[in-house]
Amino acid sequence: MLRALGRFGPAGWRRMDGFQKLLLLSLVLLSVFMLLPVVYIFNHAFKPYHELFVYPPTFFVREPSLQNVNELASVASRSTVPMVRYLFNSVFVSALAVALVTGVSALCAYPLSKHRFPGAGIVFAAILLTLMFAPEVVQIPRYLVVSELGIMNTYFAHLFPLMAMPIGVFLLKQFVDQIPDSLLEAARIDGASEFVVFARIALPVCMPAVATVAILAFQNAWGNVETSALFMLDDEMKSFAFFLSTLTNNLANNVAMQGAAAVASLIMFVPNLVVFVVLQSKVIATMAHSGIK
Amino acid sequence: MNTEHSRLEPAKRTRRRLPLLGWRKNDAVLRKVEGSLFIAPWVVGFLVFVAFPLVYSLYMSFNQVRITVTGVQTSWVGVQYYREILLADGGLLYDDLFPFLREALVMIPIIIVFSLMIAILLNLRFAGRAAFRVIFFLPVIFASGQIIGEFIAQGEGSLNVIASLGMDDRLARYLPDAWAGPIGKVIGSFVLVLWYSGVQILIFLAGRQTISGSVYEAARIDGADPWSTFWKITLPGMAPFIFLNVIYTIVDLFTYPSNPIISKVTTENYGVSSALAWIYFGIVLLFIALAFAIYARTIKSMSPRGH
Repeated sequence: MLRALGRFGPAGWRRMDGFQKLLLLSLVLLSVFMLLPVVYIFNHAFKPYHELFVYPPTFFVREPSLQNVNELASVASRSTVPMVRYLFNSVFVSALAVALVTGVSALCAYPLSKHRFPGAGIVFAAILLTLMFAPEVVQIPRYLVVSELGIMNTYFAHLFPLMAMPIGVFLLKQFVDQIPDSLLEAARIDGASEFVVFARIALPVCMPAVATVAILAFQNAWGNVETSALFMLDDEMKSFAFFLSTLTNNLANNVAMQGAAAVASLIMFVPNLVVFVVLQSKVIATMAHSGIK
Repeated sequence: MNTEHSRLEPAKRTRRRLPLLGWRKNDAVLRKVEGSLFIAPWVVGFLVFVAFPLVYSLYMSFNQVRITVTGVQTSWVGVQYYREILLADGGLLYDDLFPFLREALVMIPIIIVFSLMIAILLNLRFAGRAAFRVIFFLPVIFASGQIIGEFIAQGEGSLNVIASLGMDDRLARYLPDAWAGPIGKVIGSFVLVLWYSGVQILIFLAGRQTISGSVYEAARIDGADPWSTFWKITLPGMAPFIFLNVIYTIVDLFTYPSNPIISKVTTENYGVSSALAWIYFGIVLLFIALAFAIYARTIKSMSPRGH
């Protein structure tokens, strides 16, 4: 970070007034706070036991050890289903969920914003309303739906409840709203079908929103414990997140498992970080490339 | 103009459509049908997994629900739960609601202003800005809650600096007690504001880029200073995104899993929980409606002066 600070172009620095300079300096300070949780999670996972329970809690690990990793490995080896199976379930479901959620949300957001078809208002109002609901409220009815559809214990039951992510449609719709109609009209005049207009113009222009929705969808799917707990009967079908949460939940009051829990939260966190780092460049790849400007 | 254009270049239309009288109208209808088809997958998923469960829970909030081995047994109790929660037993709703609402009222503007500031800064050209962007988007992945939750539990979320400067004493002196507490808490948990604002920063940054650079160029040539450029160009241009962020922040804060009221909504005693959720939903809706009303008025007051 200091290097980044040092590399501020002198021209850029001179162009800024005092106010901006001050703000920029505070940016550096703030970014330290932004990085705290990441640093903490990594440090926490490698703390040996006597450091995990130190009071007041320490931030940085003093004597890093792999003790916690070994502990998690030994717990995992005792489970009846191999850990790889859980991992496969999670990776498979998360990948599909990201593709489906972003695709379906974008498909919905585009006509909602650009075609004033009858009922569009109702659909959008419904989205807004459901944004505000706690997932716990719909747990029991969802269980009934899933069992009535006969998709209990299948990957569909993992995927479908995640798919109607109202926040995704909402975010995307607000971005599609900002696309000038003339841009789309130009493509239509050139004979592009509606799907081509959507996929080649609307979608790339809204890439920041699409990437954001993808990041959110991944987190949603990867950390999902609910569908495993409710809709999956066999252990082989449950997700990695569920597996890790059972490890740590059953032993919440047990001092002996805190190390494994720390490593588990690191393992849960790292894929989020990776997906984020990969996709955030798309967020930055902006409208500048899209021809709006 | 469009009609004229397409009449001039009929050969460019590759689609198999006859240039009959009124084909343009058909074209528009066709496109609407096509558009509606795009919505279908989402709407189906939505109806089955969101809308139906919600209506079901509304129905259940008027019932006593017992879950047995054979299925769900319900018996009609009418508005009894609503009356209990709203009138008889305040403990379930009000004790947590009012402190939380005050906190949210303070927190929402802070989050919005803070993320707007950061987004504008991140839009400036300076070396290393890519690194800064990544760092400030990071909270997007803290949104899963588990991480922040762990931090609050560990007491890392608050800044002891605030207390050591005697800031909370001063707050208590100048503000009514009911407000000093929440405001102090917000300042104390300033770091949390940072961690709540990932998506907001992202939305603002993307939104900032929808404002054409030539407008800024023109303002610069006219001798506008950065301060008035911000008020006259950036802020009005960002209005839709500020609105979007207000809605997002309200929703995010109010439906956070560790939110005091949400955490009371469980699947045990489903009838009461549903009633509580619907009451809470009404409250959130009120806030959203307020945001909508303010936005509509702002847009209205801005448009006549716009051109």
